[in-house]
Amino acid sequence: MKPPAKMSKPTSLFVIFFSLFIMSEAVFEDQVGKFDWRQQYVGKTLFAHFDSHSQSSNKLFLATDKNIFASFNSRTGDLLWRHVDKVGPEGTIDILVLHGQDALMVVGGGRLLRSWDTNMGGLNWEAVLDTGSFQAACFVAIQDTVKHVAVLKKAAISLHYLTNGHQKWVENLPDSDTVQYQAVYSGGEVEVYVLGVVPNSHLTIIAYSLEDGEIIKQRSVEAPWLSSVESSCVVIGQGVLMCVDPATLALYTLPIQAEEAPQFNQILLQVTPVQPRLEVSLGFQPVLVSSQPHPARSPISEFFLQLGPDHHVLLQLNADGYTIAALRDFQPAFLVSFATTGEKTVAVVMTPKNETLYVHAFLKKDDSVDYRVLVQTQDHALTFIQQPGRVVWTREEALADVVTMEMVDLPLTGTQAELEGEFGKKADGLFPMVLKRLSSQVILLQAWLAHLWKLFYEARKPHGQVKNEVTIETLSRDEFNLQKMMVMVTASGKLFGIDSKSGSILWKHYLENVQPNAVFKLIVQRTTAHFPHPPQCTLLIKDKDTGLASLHVFNPIFGRKSHIAPPALPRPILQSLLLPVIDQDYAKVLLLVDDQYKVTAFPSTKNVLQQLQEMASSIFFYLIRSDQGNLSGFRLRKDLSTERIWEVVLPTEVQKIVAVNGKRPNEHVHSQGRVMGDRSVLYKYLNPNLLAVVTESTDAHPERAFVGVFLVDGVTGRIIHEAVQRKARGPVHFVHSENWVVYEYWNTKSRRNEFSVLELFEGTELYNSTVFSSLDRPHLPQVLQQTYIFPSPITTMEATLTEKGITSRHLLVGLPSGAILSLPKMFLDPRRPEVVTEHSREENLIPYAPEMPIRTEWFINYNQTVARVKGIYTAPSGLESTCLVVAYGLDIYQTRVYPSKQFDVLKDDYDYVLISSVLFALFFATMISKRLAQVKLLNRAWR
Amino acid sequence: MLLHGRLSELCIFLQAMFVFACCFSDIESGPIATSGSVQPNGDRFKLEGRAIVPGVKTQDWISSARVTVEGEEYIGFMRTDGSFVVNDVPSGSYVVEVISPGYKFEAVRVDITSKGKMRARLVNFIKTSEVIRQPYPLQLRSSGPHTYFMKRETWGWTDFLMNPMVLMMVLPLLIIVLLPKVVNTNDPEMRKEMEQSMNMLNPNPELPDVSEFMTKLFSGSKSSSNKAVGGSKASGRPAVKRR
Repeated sequence: MKPPAKMSKPTSLFVIFFSLFIMSEAVFEDQVGKFDWRQQYVGKTLFAHFDSHSQSSNKLFLATDKNIFASFNSRTGDLLWRHVDKVGPEGTIDILVLHGQDALMVVGGGRLLRSWDTNMGGLNWEAVLDTGSFQAACFVAIQDTVKHVAVLKKAAISLHYLTNGHQKWVENLPDSDTVQYQAVYSGGEVEVYVLGVVPNSHLTIIAYSLEDGEIIKQRSVEAPWLSSVESSCVVIGQGVLMCVDPATLALYTLPIQAEEAPQFNQILLQVTPVQPRLEVSLGFQPVLVSSQPHPARSPISEFFLQLGPDHHVLLQLNADGYTIAALRDFQPAFLVSFATTGEKTVAVVMTPKNETLYVHAFLKKDDSVDYRVLVQTQDHALTFIQQPGRVVWTREEALADVVTMEMVDLPLTGTQAELEGEFGKKADGLFPMVLKRLSSQVILLQAWLAHLWKLFYEARKPHGQVKNEVTIETLSRDEFNLQKMMVMVTASGKLFGIDSKSGSILWKHYLENVQPNAVFKLIVQRTTAHFPHPPQCTLLIKDKDTGLASLHVFNPIFGRKSHIAPPALPRPILQSLLLPVIDQDYAKVLLLVDDQYKVTAFPSTKNVLQQLQEMASSIFFYLIRSDQGNLSGFRLRKDLSTERIWEVVLPTEVQKIVAVNGKRPNEHVHSQGRVMGDRSVLYKYLNPNLLAVVTESTDAHPERAFVGVFLVDGVTGRIIHEAVQRKARGPVHFVHSENWVVYEYWNTKSRRNEFSVLELFEGTELYNSTVFSSLDRPHLPQVLQQTYIFPSPITTMEATLTEKGITSRHLLVGLPSGAILSLPKMFLDPRRPEVVTEHSREENLIPYAPEMPIRTEWFINYNQTVARVKGIYTAPSGLESTCLVVAYGLDIYQTRVYPSKQFDVLKDDYDYVLISSVLFALFFATMISKRLAQVKLLNRAWR
Repeated sequence: MLLHGRLSELCIFLQAMFVFACCFSDIESGPIATSGSVQPNGDRFKLEGRAIVPGVKTQDWISSARVTVEGEEYIGFMRTDGSFVVNDVPSGSYVVEVISPGYKFEAVRVDITSKGKMRARLVNFIKTSEVIRQPYPLQLRSSGPHTYFMKRETWGWTDFLMNPMVLMMVLPLLIIVLLPKVVNTNDPEMRKEMEQSMNMLNPNPELPDVSEFMTKLFSGSKSSSNKAVGGSKASGRPAVKRR
């Protein structure tokens, strides 16, 4: 038994060593919120309700287009809790209604009925509904108590108990293939009314008994003018159905409960006795707005009639049920809403400038009429307004759907620029240089003194008042370039400039006329490094269907649109590429390739065109046609036309191209090779033109499905390596960097996620150590591969990036739980040995283990989870050890990571007191011992 | 030694085969815990369970928790009493997890047959067919809050005494004084072992990873400058790393 024990000793020691090394990665508890922040969003509001359960409540409940049910504090706009459902149609919220403490929700197109306890934020019950698309739902009350909820589907109506969700009864609707049932109404009686319509023929009213779902009566009313109950009818007063006919401009009334053969009563708008005369704007479909304050009582008899986009009239149905009276005319008024508390009802009218959509009003005090309004605007901002028109808070919900982002360095301050300028200019003699040096030192001293004074001044103020407001004017680069401007592009077409240190929004710009299916690409054309010239970003907006694109050129620091006119792009754009060529104003050149393979340059000055002509023979680009399985490479000609030089076809019957990824252009690789245990060097294959192409099989059968990875040289089209993972399917997430590709897929056989790493090496000798050329590399690289089990699905993956690439790399993995795992690349090394040898130990290789560990200490965002992580953006900072990370999805989280610990600055827990006290102690000890030694010498001399 | 290793590997393999065979028979005829209730919409089933965080009121954690089935394939929410139901799940094998930013829960694999019979077992990604039964409806008990943070090292006299730097100074002294008296150094096997352990202590300076090299360089210079100061805390930590 002795020998195995001896063997295991070194390995266990080794594991301890590594765990020590990697353990130090985690966040310390006192660092929470020091350089990281999170912002939570919910998306565009579909339904909103105020908590009217108790008078003092400050809660607000929202259901959004991102399938989220959330509760907010209405005083501050802070999120109290939020429930994130599945993405896509299975999680869509069809309706949200509130009764007391219970919020009822129909989810997924009538799939589920959920009841939430709004106080705790937990689920009361969840009931599965019968199949069929959802139409309407309402509360049903008997004798002033709400006990049931009725759900109307395309072909059935069901009644559920509010307490436990159990179904009381379900009935099929008669003639559901011809009649479109669209509304359900209950006014507190023992009947539930279902309204259906056969377009342009007649209206059907069915009354169901509350007790057993029996049809009490069924009426059919002639209505050749009616096409939809949903869009043109409302119930007002004592159960009177009011419809509007846009063709004849007439209002029709009909008592729902009427007995024998009811008829619509027509009120022509033109000839009404009401003053002023009601006239509908040309081509406008009039809309009715009514309110039913309590499900146990009938709706109020006042209602709004919208006559034009900005014209509303408040009308009242008289007690006879046939005539109407105008109460007030509102023009201009875009938005209207009702709110009721107790016996009083408020009608709210709003005239914002260009805002549309939502108003929710509500009454606060018992006697005085008070209200609060929530406005959802077109640019996805959610604003909360108190009665005198005071904006209490605004939430930028557009940030719930960030599409792409960039981090831009902040500009230097005047003094910093001055100092930089000293080194940039040519020397003009010794004496002026010395003077300049001295003057800049004086400037620095001044700045330092001013800083000290400010510190002193602020220290005297009470603590609460010291608040450093970040504004664009005060923004400047910090010592280590850790504070940057985050430029975020959202799907709604709203651009944001966010300070990375505090997370405050410094500028926003709403691009109108952006199609909902547009794709965006953000390009930094000029950084802040070229001082008199402002930085410049270009946003390429492309319509996904037509491929037509437009450019938006702006200053990323201030968000202002640039004066530079972008080129007109009449043809669909296939590819855009940023060249390292710069024009006389230091802006990088953007090339846009259209569907006829013609190239447009931006900026396209004479200087640029000349440079392009000179460089044309060395400019290559590639195009992907995933629908044809085609990957082709092109070269630029001198006259800016293009020529196809290679083509790779991956037959679409077998597999489809899922993703193609090159390396990041701003990535630096510090070491050319790896020193192995026997002192030889294994050189990395660092091909800057390498593309990683990931394919998935079209056959989804678990036995035959596969995932393919091709490494293709983008210049020559040569396939460097091909790897096929059998019995695997996507979604494939991958990172391509340095000389490695890491990809993750689903293993269909073992039902688990697996990570695979490919590393490319040239071998122990470099072919050409000075420069890499794709055209002159005769030898194919050696490829090493290893695969590991990952015990969780992942949502996104990115690698850390640092200034010079000296720091070791980590992979940042977004998990569905919202955590972001920082996984050392050391774990994903295909040279990890199965059996530990002398050499592998010297190389610090971790012995191979099939399962990758996930440890909560490696979560860079501790409990600040980021829901639905969609992307992780990494940017280098001025410090080599530090990488800036932004994770975005539903939420935005910004932090810093130190993959090899903070080796270039003192740690923030550095113990100055201890060091200095020890120094002083030693200093005094030497003094004393010196004295003692002298005394001793003197004594010896006397002897 | 090598043979022994091989043999033990073989044993494990055989064991795995055995377990594999076992579970096959289990699927066919084994006792099935509870039959899931068949729902009206075809072959979709519901998955039930209950999660408990000992010593914490449900309202303090349920609003931020949810149940995920196989990533975000199916999602369920926590009821006010801590129980949960995931509706509309077709037959198959799924990893069910209660996700909460505050508390840790073990994941469970749930198998649903096409007839709606259910069983729960421990998740094992390496031996995927191994069956260690868990109760169904699921009973998930939190093992406490997540540990996200590292503890800061605080300075104390015991730390100073237990400092590797100090130990490294004291231990060699002991060895120099005591070892010649205890061990016979002429024994060749003993000498070989000592050489091996010496190799362990001094890893080669030419480390392949540049960053580690940098940190080593940095900490090395710092510790050498601090050596004069005496084994302070700052010099202590790099020493841990170097070992």
